[in-house]
Amino acid sequence: MKASIILLKTLLLSTSQHNIYKHSTDKKRRRRVIGNYIGMGCLYLMLIGYSIAMCIGYGESGLIEAAPVMCAIVISALAFLFTFFKTNGYLFNFKEYDMLMSLPFESRTVAGCKFMYMYMKSLPWYLSISLAMMIGYGIYAHPSPVVYPAWIFLSFVLPVIPMLLASFLGFLIARVSSGFRKNNIIQTVLTMAFIILCFSLRYIIEDVIRDDKVENTLQSISEATENAGRMYLPVGWFAGAVRGPVVSDILLLTGVSLLLFVIVFRIVGNSYRSINSALKSHAAAKKYRMNGQKKRSVISAIAYKEFKRLTGSTTYMTNGAIGVILAALFGIVTLILGFDKIVDTVTQNAPFDHAILQPAIPFIIYFFIGMMATTACSPSLEGKNYWILQSLPIEKTSIYKGKMLFNMYLTVPFMIFGILCMGISAKVPVSELIMDLILGVVLCAFSTAWGCVCGIRHMRLDWENEIEVIKQGAAVSIYLLPNMFAVMGLVVLMVFLGMKMNHILLSGIMILIVAALAAVSYLRALSLARRT
Amino acid sequence: MLEIRHYSKSYGEGKKAVDDISLTVESGDIYGFIGHNGAGKSTTIRAVVGVLDFTEGEILIDGHSVRDEEMECKRITAYIPDNPDLYENLTGIQYLNFIADVFDIGVTEREADIKRYADLFEITDSLGDLISSYSHGMKQKVAIISALIHHPKLLVLDEPFVGLDPKATFTLKEIMHEMCAQGTAIFFSTHVLDVAEKLCNKVAIIKHGRIIASGTMKELTEGHSLEETFLEADHEG
Repeated sequence: MKASIILLKTLLLSTSQHNIYKHSTDKKRRRRVIGNYIGMGCLYLMLIGYSIAMCIGYGESGLIEAAPVMCAIVISALAFLFTFFKTNGYLFNFKEYDMLMSLPFESRTVAGCKFMYMYMKSLPWYLSISLAMMIGYGIYAHPSPVVYPAWIFLSFVLPVIPMLLASFLGFLIARVSSGFRKNNIIQTVLTMAFIILCFSLRYIIEDVIRDDKVENTLQSISEATENAGRMYLPVGWFAGAVRGPVVSDILLLTGVSLLLFVIVFRIVGNSYRSINSALKSHAAAKKYRMNGQKKRSVISAIAYKEFKRLTGSTTYMTNGAIGVILAALFGIVTLILGFDKIVDTVTQNAPFDHAILQPAIPFIIYFFIGMMATTACSPSLEGKNYWILQSLPIEKTSIYKGKMLFNMYLTVPFMIFGILCMGISAKVPVSELIMDLILGVVLCAFSTAWGCVCGIRHMRLDWENEIEVIKQGAAVSIYLLPNMFAVMGLVVLMVFLGMKMNHILLSGIMILIVAALAAVSYLRALSLARRT
Repeated sequence: MLEIRHYSKSYGEGKKAVDDISLTVESGDIYGFIGHNGAGKSTTIRAVVGVLDFTEGEILIDGHSVRDEEMECKRITAYIPDNPDLYENLTGIQYLNFIADVFDIGVTEREADIKRYADLFEITDSLGDLISSYSHGMKQKVAIISALIHHPKLLVLDEPFVGLDPKATFTLKEIMHEMCAQGTAIFFSTHVLDVAEKLCNKVAIIKHGRIIASGTMKELTEGHSLEETFLEADHEG
């Protein structure tokens, strides 16, 4: 226990922004810490605002009793997904593995502390949602005062089970992959396959919990949330515990979380060293024959380097390429099932003419593609190897042009494929489809250049674990959030304007606007590049 | 103190990185482990310190099995890797305190030892700075101090002199002699044959995962320099 506390405390201190601010003599670095605090504060406020707004929605609709269930569902889903994305980088393959494992820590202590570290780092996000929803629930439901301490206590417990499940799945994938010579590729493929399965299951599960026979929308929401509580027991325990509060539910949720933690880390601990040994050790093949070398231009060489960097890391690949793979899969599914069926599934059979969605097709595909731009994190990913590029006799702008070229190589084919599949399925006329394709390519250019602006502006080279800049970096957050919200708004805008004006004209206007934004971002990226 | 018996390590497709290695390091020995890049030195060292899993052979530290009595072995062993990956956002002193906490070293004792070694390596003034601001050599010095403050019975070092300045190299060699005189066993890999020749009383040469020559320095060199002996053994092996 003492060893666990010492290790956990050190893990937290080693990534503490406060510690950096306190001890760094580099003014620029201290300013960056303050910037990070401000940025994080804004994100927390957005999350709290969104959670309160959701509660107000429930309250005003007379469904406030569904709020605890919804709170538990949202936190469980986020905890599961985010942990699954991070497990590979945090539990396995981490940089200081040799140093930690040579110290007198048991394998399960190291694995357990790494999990607890993940939990402590993500807890503030889950607390922001839960406590904001508790306030909303308090305003509308006027519960007994004992509900509040129960809710606060369980907010700390609620993310544990989904995080453990995600970690265990990550462990199983690492376990299977470690048996193969090309374990990195196997691990990436299995992780990707599982993420895609999760996204697909979402709709299947939703179909199950939303009984089609229920006509009334409000009643449907209420029943759906209650069904979710019955299907995933911790959600039901949380809801039962905070509505009552029911002591048995509190004890069940806490007890099962603790028990599961002990079981999972006993299992993980037993093969922790063998998995990490297999994942971190590579014997030299010694079979190389010097032939088939290719000469590339500087920018192409950098783009190729970026390709190898992406495919060489499971964490980077699962985060960086998931958007393009989902876009392609979405396109294929649309082609197989039909545009109308997909729209019906997503909109819960809402009665409207599906043709009004046609102008929004490029933005729908961009919703996936724009999830991540490699340009947003690749400057930071250079990390301690940044000197290699810096010391080469090439223009700084060439480095970032190469990075942007790679992102275009990565996104454009998938964007075209996705739009073509959706366009063909939706029977979009050829002339309009051509405009959609042009708009798609321009959107990729915008995503690439805007990502590069964020990536250079918020470059962070002193990371401990690459997940810090791939998943949690300021550059990626600043790229992603406005981008995603803008896309959602633009889908609605395109549908609305599409009903009022000609599709080709509308696409033409959007192409011009997005191209202008892409050009401004590109010039800004090059200007920032010169100053790095 | 350290006994490696028929240790082998295979990677995928049955390829052996280390093949049937056996050696013994007694208390008071300074045992040099030399070989080409990729010969299997680090693979052996990482198994000795409990970082790398292995299935073939046995490694014993002070009579305890590395595989079955992991904690007993680690409590008496210190390891300095070739490229110290320390926590970059801790200060030097925070990192050393972490190690001292792990080994349950009292405040007075740790303060005295940290001060002594930090002064010897001329790094005391920088202990309050973040490790991320350190040079490679300074990180190496912190890693060395962290290995010394808990007075290990077995000190395992992987290329310990890489990145150290001449003064620090001399200091480390002096400390190694001092520890050896107190009965600590030292097992280290190096490419610097001159250093190995002057420092070690025993040496093993490893090539393609197999030990091709081993014994006391006197037995092995037979009046030649270690460099000549190494090149000859390498040619024959």
